[in-house]
Amino acid sequence: MQNMNLYSRGDRLFVRVNMVLIGLFTLSTLYPFIYIAAVSFSSGFAARAGLVVLSPVEVTLAAYGRVLSEPQFWNSYGNTFIYTIGGTLTSLVIIIPGAYALSRPQLLGRRFWNLMVAFTMWFHAGMIPFWLNIRDLGLLDSYFGIIIAFACNAFNIILLRNFFESIPSSFEEAARMDGANEFQVLWKVFVPLSKPAIATITLFCVVSRWNGFFWAMVLLNDEGKIPLQVYLRQTIATLSDDEEFSSTLIDAPYSVETVTAAIIVCSIIPVLCFYPFAQKYFNKGILLGGVKE
Amino acid sequence: MTDLPASSAGSANSAGEQADGASARPMQERLVWLADHFKREWQIYVMLAPMIIWFLLFLYKPMYGLQIAFKDYSIFRGIVESPWVGLEHFETLFNNSQFLRAVKNTVIISALSLIFGFPVPIFLALMFNEILHALYRRTCQTIVYLPHFISTVIIAGIVITAFSPSAGIVNTIIGWIGIEPVYFLIKPEWFRPIFIGSGIWQEAGFSSIIFLAAIAGVNPSLYESAVVDGASRWQMMWKITIPSIMPTIIIMLIIRIGNLMEVGFELIILLYQPATYQTADVINTFIYRQGLQSGQYDLAAAAGLFNAVVAFVLVMAANSVSKRVSRTSLW
Amino acid sequence: MSAVVLKDMYKRFGAVQVVHGINLEVAAHEFVVLVGPSGCGKSTTLRMIAGLEEISEGILTIDGQTMNRIAPKDRDCAMVFQNYALYPHLNVAENIAFGLRIRRVKKDVIARSITEVAAILGLTEYLERRPADLSGGQRQRVAMGRAIVRHPKVFLFDEPLSNLDAKLRAQMRAEIRRLHNRLGVTSIYVTHDQIEAMTLADRIVVMNDGRIEQIGTPMDLFMNPVSTFVAGFIGSPPMNQFRGTLANDAEGASVTIGGGRISLPDTVPRDPGRDVIIGIRPEYVSLAAGEDTSPVSIKLDLVEPLGSEALLHAAIGEDPFIIKAETLGGVCHLSGLTEVHVPAEMVKVFDAETGRVLNQGPKR
Repeated sequence: MQNMNLYSRGDRLFVRVNMVLIGLFTLSTLYPFIYIAAVSFSSGFAARAGLVVLSPVEVTLAAYGRVLSEPQFWNSYGNTFIYTIGGTLTSLVIIIPGAYALSRPQLLGRRFWNLMVAFTMWFHAGMIPFWLNIRDLGLLDSYFGIIIAFACNAFNIILLRNFFESIPSSFEEAARMDGANEFQVLWKVFVPLSKPAIATITLFCVVSRWNGFFWAMVLLNDEGKIPLQVYLRQTIATLSDDEEFSSTLIDAPYSVETVTAAIIVCSIIPVLCFYPFAQKYFNKGILLGGVKE
Repeated sequence: MTDLPASSAGSANSAGEQADGASARPMQERLVWLADHFKREWQIYVMLAPMIIWFLLFLYKPMYGLQIAFKDYSIFRGIVESPWVGLEHFETLFNNSQFLRAVKNTVIISALSLIFGFPVPIFLALMFNEILHALYRRTCQTIVYLPHFISTVIIAGIVITAFSPSAGIVNTIIGWIGIEPVYFLIKPEWFRPIFIGSGIWQEAGFSSIIFLAAIAGVNPSLYESAVVDGASRWQMMWKITIPSIMPTIIIMLIIRIGNLMEVGFELIILLYQPATYQTADVINTFIYRQGLQSGQYDLAAAAGLFNAVVAFVLVMAANSVSKRVSRTSLW
Repeated sequence: MSAVVLKDMYKRFGAVQVVHGINLEVAAHEFVVLVGPSGCGKSTTLRMIAGLEEISEGILTIDGQTMNRIAPKDRDCAMVFQNYALYPHLNVAENIAFGLRIRRVKKDVIARSITEVAAILGLTEYLERRPADLSGGQRQRVAMGRAIVRHPKVFLFDEPLSNLDAKLRAQMRAEIRRLHNRLGVTSIYVTHDQIEAMTLADRIVVMNDGRIEQIGTPMDLFMNPVSTFVAGFIGSPPMNQFRGTLANDAEGASVTIGGGRISLPDTVPRDPGRDVIIGIRPEYVSLAAGEDTSPVSIKLDLVEPLGSEALLHAAIGEDPFIIKAETLGGVCHLSGLTEVHVPAEMVKVFDAETGRVLNQGPKR
């Protein structure tokens, strides 16, 4: 962009007003996080009385003490890692070779296979048949079920397939003349050349796994297998429904609000750690998403 | 692989050519050709197989299971053995005020999200584009993208905490100007604003990326010649940037309209209560309650089928409109 | 013995036939260049030799062995691609070693080969670099290194210089030829640039529209084009072509162009009234009258000095006529030019209908 020195007076005003507006929008995006963090470090009394606005009131770690002393919290945290890592690896192992095969011109029935994948973006059987299917496959209440049932989605496959198709054919041909077979072409040429696309779908997988809650809630009854998001939801629900709990809390150093906030903070921290690494792929990834048939 | 391999990626035609050529030949020759093909190309089929099996098992098998929408499904008999009942479930649905309400709510919530939510990322992108200070711009972008990566449950947790009647910041603030605390989450009239507002908070920033990318694709010499012609930044925004990204805007709008039946029902499940069903209950939450909570699988599957068919028609329509608009298909 | 033989080779993509029966024999150690305009089928032919395209019909043999159904890796050809196809994630040494690694050659052998190839190509200092950090010429060398390292029977080049700027292209051209002189590997080289073809080739194959137009040494093609197509393709600027009608008179065969009579060589068949196209190389027009030359009056339009020579853009009647003339250190003597002289021996005569030459000269 040009230097502001070359701007007219009106333009400078425009740019400054614009900066202020963006700043306000950014702050309003940021504020709920600050608020939740402040609540999590406040005393139960201050939180209940609505005294927390920007910074913690009557600073205490009591809420964290309660959250972190809960074995179920750690258990579900661990489960989330299992689902995220296992699920993402499974996705990559299925999607990368699959997308490669779909990008090969010599694949017989290529149009058919591509349509078969793309069709699922437009039409899906819906919640109930999907659930019944998982039940019939005996995958309810299983780690494996959660990992495998959400391994693929058409969008990621098409994104990667398009990227593979954009790689000049001479790379493949050169490798082939050097004696590489399909697996070697994929692993030694296409995968290294497709780092941005693979990073993007990895990002999508990790985020959706980490945040996934609905199907984990529906498919898992065993408390020992639930991920963090389901645990968080249960905690919020029980804490706020439990009149007794609330009333006994008058004197406690924490409250429903501070405990909820503390779990939220604990659950966001890994996202914040992962975020900077992921960020550089946003633009590329979204642009790759400009999918075509 | 000792035989001829891939007849090259460069010739997209070759597969079709071989197929054409093969069909003209007698059956035997065709079989020989196929055997030969699989012998030298088996590896790509090995690569393809897991994905196709996955699609059949997890997405196409449920489509077969959709037949329960026309059956009196019983768990004991299973999908195939349950007796057919024709359109009975659909008749039930269309006489069910809850279902009709859910359809209405789905459309209203989607439409309102579109009207209020759609322009925001465009404005954001235009505004980000005018920021010269790179560090400031990057910082702000980093922050506004962040909520996209936060889970629905956390969003719900934040909303519940912030709108809590006694402790929430919203009531604290309206208390400063002398308004009595409101229990927002049990007021039907507040559900939609809260839902749509939190949706904008979560997605507006991230959605601006696509428009920023479109803006980045505008030929810089257009701006340079405008500067020489004495245009102001404001004029350039209206006369150059917006017209240039109009195709993107239109395509995104069409996609959104195509996805009208997709409401973020996960957040609704987390936020709604019986008290707010009248404005909050959408088709998917209805299906969830009827099917997974009350066990009326067949009726819920019928509702799901209705939803999926309408969605399919909308998406197809959107795709064909966008093809005409942009001459590039969306998919 | 011929190293590579193409016999009646056809290529069809669906209903579209792009190569219509090619017959070519490439001798061992020979450097053959396929040249022609884009879309003439030269790249497809090369790719059929490499095994990257299936051969629709015909037979390909390399060293006497039929290759039609042999995988590219087993044909013992190495190919240099137009975009080099260097793997950006590998450094120069790894790029050169890629093929050997795939073939599980022993590590110490690979190391030795890399050193050797790098020395030949002057890449020793760059072995650790990534392709992105190399100049165009260096990348070109790495691509050749990747081909050389395997000691293949045949080198295939697919327009390897077209991504380089003019100066570098000339330099790399000479390097490729020097390399061939040194290694003596049979080479087939595809280009659309006739200068590249002329400078590199032992023999040139001119292709047009999926067919071979002419095969010959560079000088043969230059002096004795068999058709108007070759005449217009080889040479820079190309041969001037004029339509005319054969006439016979006391002094021999002639054609009248723009009111001027041009004598033709004795080798032209006596066939008065036949419509012909006569070709005159810009280089073989003299400014002074000589033995058996025909004077032609021209309208001079533009003089382009090139240094030792100048290009004169002129016209005979309505037809453009380009002349290459010596400058003698200045172009003043050219500016007022109204008449030039065409030596009869240097005029080529083609049939107007078929475009085939009527006065075939001796092989050169």
